[in-house]
Amino acid sequence: MPEGTYLYAVARDVLSQCPDGVADLPVRTISGGPGLVAYVSTVPLDRFGEQPLRRSLEDMDWVAETARAHHRVVDAVAAATATAPVRLVTVYDGDGPVRDLLDRRGQDFLRVLDHVTGRREWGVKAYAVASADGADGQDEPAAATPHAGRPGTAYLQRRRANLRGREQIRRQALQRADHIHRALSALSVAGCRHRAQDPSLSGRHDWMLLNGAYLVDDKREDEFAELARDLGGDGVELRVTGPWAPYSFTVMETR
Amino acid sequence: MSPVERPSRRIVADPDTVERDLTRLVLTVVELVRQLVERQCVRRMEQGDLTDDQIETLGVTLMRLEEAMGDLCDRFGLTPQDLNLDLGPLGTLLPTND
Repeated sequence: MPEGTYLYAVARDVLSQCPDGVADLPVRTISGGPGLVAYVSTVPLDRFGEQPLRRSLEDMDWVAETARAHHRVVDAVAAATATAPVRLVTVYDGDGPVRDLLDRRGQDFLRVLDHVTGRREWGVKAYAVASADGADGQDEPAAATPHAGRPGTAYLQRRRANLRGREQIRRQALQRADHIHRALSALSVAGCRHRAQDPSLSGRHDWMLLNGAYLVDDKREDEFAELARDLGGDGVELRVTGPWAPYSFTVMETR
Repeated sequence: MSPVERPSRRIVADPDTVERDLTRLVLTVVELVRQLVERQCVRRMEQGDLTDDQIETLGVTLMRLEEAMGDLCDRFGLTPQDLNLDLGPLGTLLPTND
């Protein structure tokens, strides 16, 4: 059966132990380039070739399981040493192309690894939560309407107040998210904003204002957590996740 | 109606649910148009290029349409959230009433 080489991450050190990888396959290392180590698994191409993958990637259960295994390996390596994770399901035609990659892009990998050494990625999500004073209570009391006997006009006036209120709330919330992102970025080595998560995936229906990732010096983690705490409140809930392997700050084209 | 949980914005052409799903699709489009017309009315009302009588007529029409939408939703067991469209970076079509 033809086999391929699945690449998880690149680092400078070899771990003595590593959890199993995708499809419960063992993980091994390939050394090469300027002192680099690639963490890989040998995978059967009848499941990890281009055609089978195209089908499998539409199967959410398969993707979830594969992603979990991928992250398990990356997290284990990242917990021990500076790591450049590679995108999910990056499969090469054997070990040769991986060695070639380490040679060819060795300096790029070293630069990325230097950038993340002594630093970890933290995620911060900001949600708009209904504030206690009822920010959406735009419905004016019916008695106050000056359009008695003109129900259509009263209706449109109500809709107008409602739309305006929504627009204003939206604008304020977006400004707030910008402010939070700037404040967190100022304390970080690097920061970036990802697309807000789909509520059907995150299972949370509050409006996500910010889905940020921040590369933070180990020494400043407490400071960062404290700042994130202070920035929340007043209709915005901040949720800090991590530490993560530095996925958001190490993506490089590995082809 | 199927008790099975499924992504709320997907139309499933299952023989058992096709009527409800198609109804939902049609009502979603109608609701989208209604919302657009309503916003356009509000905008023109703010600009002052509608007479008081025109405002009243439009308002009553839109109000009745809203009521009719509510009735139809009830009949097919749909909630306003079922008609919501995710417009990506623009947010959702209708306010999410969380």
